[in-house]
Amino acid sequence: MATEVVMPKLGATMEEGTIVSWLVQVGETVEEGDPIAEIQTDKIVLEIEAETTGVLLKTLYDAGTVVKVHENIAYLGEENERVEDLEKQTPTASLQSAEAQRPGLAEESTIQSRQLETGSKIRRTPAARKLAEDNQLDLRMITGSGPLGRIQKMDVENYLARPRQKITPLAKKVADDQGIDIHGVTGTGTRGKIVKDDIVSISSIKTDETQQIVQAEKRVPFKGMRKVIADRISSSAYTAPHVTLLSEIDMTKCVALRKDLLPVIEKEEGLRVSFNDILMKATAFALKQHPGLNISLEGNEIVYHSNIHIGMAVAVSDGLVVPVLRDVDQKGLAVITREAKTIGKQARDGKLSPDDMQGSTFTISNLGMYAVDGFTPIINAPNAAILGVGRIQEKPVIVNGEVAVRSMMNVSLSFDHRIIDGAPAAAFLTDLKDTLENPFKLMI
Amino acid sequence: MRDMTYLEAIRESMSQVMRKDEDVFIMGEDIGIYGGAFGLTNGMIEEFGPERVRNTPISEAAISGCAVGAAMTGMRPILEIQFSDFVMIAMDNIVNQAAKMRYMFGGKAKVPVVVRLPGGSGAGFAAQHSQSLEAWMTHVPGLKVVQPSNAYDAKGLMKAAIKDDNPVLFYEHKLLYNIKGEVPEEDYEIPLGVADIKKEGTDITIIATAIMVNRALEAAAELEKEGISVEVIDPRTLVPLDTETIFQSVKKTSRVLVVYEAVKRGGYGAEIASMIAESEVFDYLDAPIKRLGGVPTPIPYNPELEKAAVPQVNDIIQECRKLMNK
Repeated sequence: MATEVVMPKLGATMEEGTIVSWLVQVGETVEEGDPIAEIQTDKIVLEIEAETTGVLLKTLYDAGTVVKVHENIAYLGEENERVEDLEKQTPTASLQSAEAQRPGLAEESTIQSRQLETGSKIRRTPAARKLAEDNQLDLRMITGSGPLGRIQKMDVENYLARPRQKITPLAKKVADDQGIDIHGVTGTGTRGKIVKDDIVSISSIKTDETQQIVQAEKRVPFKGMRKVIADRISSSAYTAPHVTLLSEIDMTKCVALRKDLLPVIEKEEGLRVSFNDILMKATAFALKQHPGLNISLEGNEIVYHSNIHIGMAVAVSDGLVVPVLRDVDQKGLAVITREAKTIGKQARDGKLSPDDMQGSTFTISNLGMYAVDGFTPIINAPNAAILGVGRIQEKPVIVNGEVAVRSMMNVSLSFDHRIIDGAPAAAFLTDLKDTLENPFKLMI
Repeated sequence: MRDMTYLEAIRESMSQVMRKDEDVFIMGEDIGIYGGAFGLTNGMIEEFGPERVRNTPISEAAISGCAVGAAMTGMRPILEIQFSDFVMIAMDNIVNQAAKMRYMFGGKAKVPVVVRLPGGSGAGFAAQHSQSLEAWMTHVPGLKVVQPSNAYDAKGLMKAAIKDDNPVLFYEHKLLYNIKGEVPEEDYEIPLGVADIKKEGTDITIIATAIMVNRALEAAAELEKEGISVEVIDPRTLVPLDTETIFQSVKKTSRVLVVYEAVKRGGYGAEIASMIAESEVFDYLDAPIKRLGGVPTPIPYNPELEKAAVPQVNDIIQECRKLMNK
């Protein structure tokens, strides 16, 4: 008996996932626990594992396809098992077999009927929905003429009445890839069918004519990780009243410390300790003394966390993730260096698990590698505070009445003024500054 | 066929039944020699005498209490509340007694009473004499509510109301009283719970009651010139309501406008709209169901303001255009 492989739901807010790649080919045997496919959620890439041992009988979507959670994406079963029989038992499959019965329409016309009711926010009247459903039409293909673009029965009727343009699957793919509207394209294939060449010729004309516009304007759907980041950042910025404290820290002793520690830690871990690692350690040390900063607002309760888990903002190719280093206050610099490097690499490779990004109690956002002197970070909710770190720069400063060259660094502490007052935040920042200026304290 | 006013049709209906059925009698304030506030009972005291056309004191509580008691003993009273607004004084007798008797006595007591209620605005009677309060009564289990829109229906529905063994509230519209229509001489009956399609159409279903039926028909004639085909349905009785005729029409047109004179908020049109929305014809809707009702204000005395307070022909036309996105 074949089993279904479904798109997993990996978080409360996950609604769909993208199949990044199939790791097993149809016909190959997998053991229970073997990875079958890589899927991408809003933030991470994960592997789906086989729940049973068997042969991958069929994959229902190509790599790159976005699939809703809990939807069937493949079948595992015994060798020579017939998937066709199975597919009829599932709604998705029955639709596909309906398509198969009228190949001229479904395969080659411009009408897609893959997903009927997507639950997406299409404005449509009940009558339009029913008519579309009866005709297995995807309402997303139809432009509504009603108020605010509401699709009405008339729009569906017009759509149905429109001459159906035939197009080869290849031409369709090329057109989709290049974002070409095939309506109005004259097909040169048999009985006016649009073939690849028709699209290519359009596309070259289009390229010439619109090159300037294309260069000037690129439109990318506002969704996925970008949308998640946007939602969380705005939610935090709008709900938590932010106050940011600034402080300039003399890092000269830290620079010296790092210089001394570099060969030591490199010998032990094979990794180079960074200022960020020292900062994490110092921040955890300061948080330990100021538990009032290591808190979250959860509903009607202020939670004072018993652990110090520090989120580390990491820029990735198309956004930002915040993996979490746990119990930082209890770890030595060597361990912190190892863990920070590992988790940073995982973040950039998109291999973090949801667990890796949950549970932070405080966050550090370090832009010190850029020419940034300071900035006002937005709190990473549900944390109550975030430390923004600028670059370390040698500057002339007055020490004991004399001008000296010191390695100076600006930090900024944004905190949620609903639950943290200015004075305790300032006290924390003062102690952090003191720790970084006298890093031997970390040994105490 | 002869033409007759709505008012005359109601009188004729009552007279025809009274001639046949000794148990039927009418009562109300000044309905005897004076002929009632609107002259509806003119001449009836001459034919039936003061025993069956009874003048009453100015007490709606007394009239209604009397009528409910008489009905329970086997009589079939028709009582006139001079203006439907005054029914509040009779509310306990109607809502708490008449509506519940049959139920509470396990069917052994019947309450065959008809309460005639001249309602509606447009005649310059101001805030206390011009209301449309029928929705109140539709909320009460045990009451039937009738609202005829023309002379023919008024006659046939009155007959059915008198014959009914339950309390029936018979809402008459003051502005309709003098509107004539064809009315057969014979004593015919229109069963309660059967709607009438006053005009057929294909684009929009208007469900209208009382004077709004006439306005909807006028609006429909105008809209026809613009190529919008309107079907006008008159439920005629709000309880029982003929949902089947309404649903059939909605299936045909996919768009619905409910027009009623009562204040839009909490009006019976909301009930009709909800019934459509939660029925199987929901899938046939091609636009949100629209209600057009009175503005939430006491009916003004000033004739222009009085007009502005309830839907007029132009308002109906506008709403229909909006429904068609025009």
